[in-house]
Formats: sequence, structure tokens, C-alpha cells
Amino acid sequence: MANAVMGYKQSSFPTKLAAISGIALLIFIILPFVFGDFQLSLMSKLLLFGSLGISLDLVWGFTGILSFAHGVFFTLGGYASAYYLKLNLSAASNTYGGELPDFMVWNGLETLPWFIAPLKYFPIALVATVAVPALFAYILGYFIFRSKVSGVYITIITLAISSALTTFFVSQQAYTGGTNGITDVSKLSFLGSPIPPIGLYFLILAFTVFVLALSWWLTQSNLGLILRSINENEKRIAFLGYDVAQFKIFIWTLSAALAGMAGGLFVPLNQFISPVYLAVAFGTQVVIWVAIGGRGTLVGPLLAAILLGQVQNYAEKVTQDWQLVIGILLLVVVLFIPNGLMSLLPKQLSLANLSKPKLLKTPDAVKN
Amino acid sequence: MLAFDPSSVFLSNLLLAQEEAEAATGGLDIVTLLNQALNGVGIVGILLLTGLGLAITFGVMRIINLAHGEFIMLGAYVTFVFQDAFGMDLLMTIPFAFLVTAIIGAVVELTIIRRLYGNPLETLLATWGLSIVLQGVVKLIFTAQLKYVKAPPYLSGNLPLLSDDSGGALISISYYRMFIIVVALALLGVTMYLFYKTSWGRQIRAVTQNRDMAKCLGVNTKLVDMGTFAYGCGLAGVAGAVISALKTVAPPMGQDYLVDAWMVVVTGGVDKLIGVLAGSLLIGEANAVIAFILNDPTARVIVLAAVIVLIRYRPEGLFTIQKRS
Repeated sequence: MANAVMGYKQSSFPTKLAAISGIALLIFIILPFVFGDFQLSLMSKLLLFGSLGISLDLVWGFTGILSFAHGVFFTLGGYASAYYLKLNLSAASNTYGGELPDFMVWNGLETLPWFIAPLKYFPIALVATVAVPALFAYILGYFIFRSKVSGVYITIITLAISSALTTFFVSQQAYTGGTNGITDVSKLSFLGSPIPPIGLYFLILAFTVFVLALSWWLTQSNLGLILRSINENEKRIAFLGYDVAQFKIFIWTLSAALAGMAGGLFVPLNQFISPVYLAVAFGTQVVIWVAIGGRGTLVGPLLAAILLGQVQNYAEKVTQDWQLVIGILLLVVVLFIPNGLMSLLPKQLSLANLSKPKLLKTPDAVKN
Repeated sequence: MLAFDPSSVFLSNLLLAQEEAEAATGGLDIVTLLNQALNGVGIVGILLLTGLGLAITFGVMRIINLAHGEFIMLGAYVTFVFQDAFGMDLLMTIPFAFLVTAIIGAVVELTIIRRLYGNPLETLLATWGLSIVLQGVVKLIFTAQLKYVKAPPYLSGNLPLLSDDSGGALISISYYRMFIIVVALALLGVTMYLFYKTSWGRQIRAVTQNRDMAKCLGVNTKLVDMGTFAYGCGLAGVAGAVISALKTVAPPMGQDYLVDAWMVVVTGGVDKLIGVLAGSLLIGEANAVIAFILNDPTARVIVLAAVIVLIRYRPEGLFTIQKRS
């Protein structure tokens, strides 16, 4: 009997998918040893952006909520991590020698505000990078999903949130560093020694694998089925007795937490965070990765972020008009390839096909 | 600037209240308040002007048009080109701004919007893509350099409403702000006339209420769609032409107006055109009053938050009569 169960399990294991993802992971593990310093940091950044794209795909591709606010969640996590790194600058490297970050001194603050001070400690900062965006998203989600507000209005609300928070962060110069944001932060260190770029790369790679695996597992579970049903026909799933709003709030909050973590990892890499990442333009970037990569594919946004980022890196040496290319690409994808570039892959390579379990063998075959 | 600290906000309110009490005898405070209210009227004019086009494309046609700001930008560039090349007066360029943006709007409707009717999220994405493309193309043609448009000389200066003893103006409103309000109200009047008094307007309303029935009765719905969208874009173009003299003209300028225009239309409700006037009055004056009590960025944040709350509880807008559906 035990054998039979094991036989069943083995046969349901998506071998092809495992092989392909194994190869892909291997490539990403080998890459940093081939790359130069610049490519290393670029790839780390793009992996984070890809994870951000995956987190948006959970709410947009699967549940049908288009959000321009994922840049906001990302940045909230980023600020939490930036405060931690800024407050841990050694007194010598701080411009004014003291405890207080330089931008606070410039703006006439004399003591560290109580709501920023605890971020000096790593465990608190770590929790804050996840909890602050998640809590914000939970409150927001609770507010908007438990109402009769429908799809497009929610998107407009996310636009307004992004616009309002940008204005707010720019105006609170003494606390947020204003337009410049928080710059000149210390390096992330582990046991007292700073983590080298390659270490950061592997940390980020591990995070990306975690986000991808978690999202994959979630969307394959019954929960994923419910989310997709909400996308297909919200009313029917409500009639079946499911509390639609609760599912929406859950996935929205989870997605914001993932985005916040990505933001938290972004600051040690980027060495600064600013309201640029709060603004609608960055939120749009995230939407574009998902739209171009393919909604509901998870891998699509990751690949799109990496691909577009690499092309942008080279294109910007030639042309000033990269944004125009992005706009045209978005238009073409929406009008002609609504399911994104992933849908252009041959059928055999599609994720659904790869993950399909093989047909069960006959009981005789299972026995051995 | 006020710091983000509840106690200091409270304290400054207290201080303001004290100042008010002290100034009450001199009457100075009322002057500042009146000036602020007039300032608000100026904002209302701009909001009404920029929101009107959207009230057509979103309010009437239900097209989620995120490229609305770019049509405003295009109108401003048309004015710049005509003024730069032919030395035309700003007033003379307004019809051209309307025509050019309306034609571009018609082309956009034909090539993009038409394919996506009944698919609001896709429309939203496509128009966002369009907005990036339009900015990029304008940047390609005119470079990212800031352009300046001259206001007509007879519209410069201020109209003093109240003078002090020595003859200096205490309360005044600039002629240009008055001009903006006049243009905005005139456009609103023209649009309402077109919608409620002409056969074209009747066709538009018929198509929005029951597309199939209108088609059966011989209305060319596709032409009506194109015409209405083009008209909405043309209005945005006029807004751009009028605003161009207020600020510099640059490719990303439309973005500033996009969010505001949306807030106005969403607040006013999409049921009646007059809602856009109510929406801009409410948002403009609220903005001016809160900015007077606190400061500009805080006012913007509070107004945006209020609009979010409004959408949550009344997505159909404040000034819409609730219907049984």
C-alpha cells in the first residue's frame, strides 16, 4: 500500500517542470561567477523587480485586481530598511558624527522621532519591512474590498494612494529626507562584517526562489482555485458561500508583504531609497512587467523584468527615448497579445502543460 | 512647513486661532481668508477646465482614459507651435488646439479604444500605454526642453476688488484667472447645450442609454462614439491651450492634471454634466481652505484621502441621484 502511494506520488511529480526550473536555477547560480561587478548588481536589482512583478501577478493575474500601488508597498519596505541602515552608520562615517541622520540635522530635528528610533535594531527593522507594508495593505484592503466598489475604481484608488503618498513623503522632509530620500546608508552586514555584492546576489536569488515557489504553491492550491474563480465570476463564487472580500484582503496583504520584503532587500543593494519609487511611474513599471510577461503566469513577470531591464541597460546607451519603446510595447501587448509574451511560447512549454502530472500507471506497474 | 507630529499640528492650530482672535479687530484676517477663497476660485477654474473633457470621455462614454492629461499637453503644444511660428495671440490658437487634439482623439478612438469597448481594465492599460507614447513622441519632436507661452497683454495684471486707505490692493484677482473661469463656464454651457438641445446630443444620450436600441433606430453608433471621444479630447486640448500660459509647457505636464481631473469627475459623479462643476468647486475650495489652515502638500494629501473615502462609499459620485437598478 505504501508503495502504491509512493508510486502515485512519483508519477504525479512534474518531472519536466522540475528539470527546467533546476536548469534555470543552475544558470542563475553560475551567472555571478561569469559576470562583472556591474552586471552582478544589475541582475540583483532585476531579480528584485521580478519578485515585485510576481507579487503583483498574484493580485492582478490571478485575482483580477489591477494595482498601481505595488511600488508603494515596495517603497514602504524600502524605507524601513533604509532607516535601519542609516541609523547603523558608524559615528565616524556619519556627516555629523552623532546619532542623528544627516537629513534630520539639516531640517532642524534635535532628537530621533520615537517612531523611527526602534528601527535601529535588526529584528525590529526586519519585522517592519514586512509588517509596515502588510499592515498598510490590510487596512486599505479591508477598507476597499468590503464595499460595492468594483475593479476600475479600485485601480483609480491605488493611483490616488500612490499620488498622495508621494506628496506626503516629499513634504515631510525632516522625517523622510524629502525628494532626495534616504541616501548614503551603511552596507548590510552579517556578524559584524559587510556582505559582499555576491553574497547579496545570492540572498536576493534565494528570496526570488522563495517568492516564486510560494506563489506557485499558493496558486496551485485550492486557494489559488478560489482566487481564479473570483477573477472569472465574482458573483458566482459569492453565491457558493465564499467570503470573496476575505480572500481578496488575504492575497492583497500577502502580496504587499512580499513587495515590502523586495523593497527591504532593494535598499542595501541600491544604497538609497526615494519617493521616486512611490510615484505612479514606478507603479506603472511593475504593471508593465506583468502585462508584458503575461498575467497569471508568475514566471512571465520575472522574465519580463529581467529582459526589459537588460535591454533598457543597452538601449539607454543609444537612445534617450526608452520610455517611448516601453509605451509602444505596452500598447502592442494590450491590443494584440493580451496574455503577454509567455503565451507566445509553444504549447508544450507552457507552465500548465509542464506541471501536468503524468498519467497514472496501471496498478501492476505501481506495485514494483 | 509643519512637521508630522500630531502635537505640533494641534499647537499650530491653536496659534492660528490666537492670531485670528488678535487680528479680528483689524479685519486683516478676513482679507487673507477672502484672498485664499479667490485663490480657490482660480483653482476651481482650472479643475473645471481640465475635468470637463474627462466628464465626456469617462462620464458619458465610460472610457477609462488615462491619456487625458496628454491631450491637455498636446493642446498646450499646439498653442506653443502656433504662437512660435505665426506669432498668434493665445486666444486665436484655441480653435486650432481644439481641432488638432480632436483629430488625434478620433484617430485614437479608431485604432485603440474601439477594440476594447466593454473591457475597462484593458482600456485603462492601453490608454496608459498611449499616454507614455504621446509623451515620448512629443519629447522626440520638441525635446524635453521647457517651452514658454505668452499670455495676451490685455489679460495681464490684477483686478483690485478692495483697496486699503493708501490705494494698495488688499484683495485682487488676476485677469487671467478670471479668463480661465469664463472659458471653463462657457465650455460647460456649450457642452450642455450640445448634449441636451441638439440631435447630436440626443443621439449620444441614446447610445449611452441603450446602444442596441439606438442602433436599431438608425443611429450610427460607431460615428457617435468617435465623435464624442474626439469632442472630449478637443475639450482637453482647449484646457491645455488656456493653461499653457500659466505654467511652462513640457512633455510630462499632463500628469499633473490627470489625477486632479479624475478626482473632479469621480467626486462630481457622472450622471449629469453639471456634476463636474460641483466636483471642481468642492475640491478646489476644500484644497484652498485646507492649504490656508495647514499647508499645500498636506491639503493635497487630505483632499486625495477624502476622495478615496468618497469613492469607497459613493462610487457613483456625490451629486448623482440614486436610482433603483
